[in-house]
Amino acid sequence: MADGILLERAGLPAVSICTDPFALTARAMADAYGFPGFEYVSIPHPVASLTEAQIHARVRDMLPDLLRILGVE
Amino acid sequence: MDASFVEDAAAVRRAMEYYADQGWTDGLPVVPVTESYLAEFLAQTGRDPGDVLLAMPQLNRACTVRLAAINAALAGCRPEYFPVVVAAWESLAAEGYPVKGIWQSTTGTAPFLIVNGPVRERIGLNSRGNVFGSGFRANATIGRAIRLGVINAFGLRPHELDQATQGTPAKYTFCIAENEEESPWPGLHTEFGLTASDSAVTAIITRSCVHIEARHTRAPEQLATDIAGTISRTGALIHETISAAVVLSPEHARLFASAGWSKSDIARFMYDHAVRTGAELAAAGKEAVSSKTRWRLPADHPDALPVFADGPVRVLNSPAAVLVVVAGAGNAGVSAVVETFGPRGGPPPVTVIATRLP
Repeated sequence: MADGILLERAGLPAVSICTDPFALTARAMADAYGFPGFEYVSIPHPVASLTEAQIHARVRDMLPDLLRILGVE
Repeated sequence: MDASFVEDAAAVRRAMEYYADQGWTDGLPVVPVTESYLAEFLAQTGRDPGDVLLAMPQLNRACTVRLAAINAALAGCRPEYFPVVVAAWESLAAEGYPVKGIWQSTTGTAPFLIVNGPVRERIGLNSRGNVFGSGFRANATIGRAIRLGVINAFGLRPHELDQATQGTPAKYTFCIAENEEESPWPGLHTEFGLTASDSAVTAIITRSCVHIEARHTRAPEQLATDIAGTISRTGALIHETISAAVVLSPEHARLFASAGWSKSDIARFMYDHAVRTGAELAAAGKEAVSSKTRWRLPADHPDALPVFADGPVRVLNSPAAVLVVVAGAGNAGVSAVVETFGPRGGPPPVTVIATRLP
């Protein structure tokens, strides 16, 4: 979240990605950075133990959300 | 009990409830703090109240001397404990992992504080029986002063910025004194440039405390092998290597010393014998190391570096990854491995406790 907010503030479009159990922390971190409404993508947990194919599936599933937040028409 | 005391006690309870409602506690009641009580703590140090003891730029927050004093008072410290708390914060800043954000991590760590020198007697820090347990105000409240500072100065509250999956009971407090009087060796602080008459705190981030039952042997190699087997458990291996503080009871320390072993002999033995075979690591899926994070993972993972070793694999990167400390009662062959976080080498952050000159 911090990286996403700092990149946006530096003028670089960015989307932060968290897994669902981090929702509360993500909001707390955005608050700590004075950006409580910061939009990010939340995906199902876990990620660390997935296979390569499962990772690809996660990316495919999140892409529409990611592009929407980026503002891609 | 006279009426004014009852009235005062009710006011104290209201203050405690107020603090709890604000989220300024670890779940246990805290001591109400007034400006005059705070001044008693600040008078114990030569540091300016605005001095920063530990900063976390990623949160844009810092723990100043004043915030450390407020939280020491909340924790139930006596004012004369405060120089130990200040040194503990300095040691944690030097330790490195807190500044890098370990207190936000899912790993769920806590600071482990080891106190050496004359301050132990002066403020009643326990170094003997039940050294990890409860019952001693200085141990209980100095460790808690750090925990409350983490909560209140940095806002690292569970379910918010503190993302610990399970945490550790050590989060409430984890502060011991070394039992220098019953140790056959010089104190920890004297290994790193201080003298026995100095007082010092060494703070290390820890995940777990695992005990070792070894009442059966007089052979130092057997005891050392028992300890090394505990250090090398695969569950502790997140990174390529780990580190540990071996907290020996006086009985075990004397067993080693009477066979001629020094602390560095023990550390060297741990380095050589805290090992797992490639097959044992593979059985847990931890035989390889990630090219990106150096975390352990299976050899068939796309990030895995090639695995060459088939024989014993060391889980410590050097003898310096092991600290040897003596603490506890001299009544049984029981010791502990405090699993410290991350690979380590080089000297630990031994920090002098500076008291204000009279």
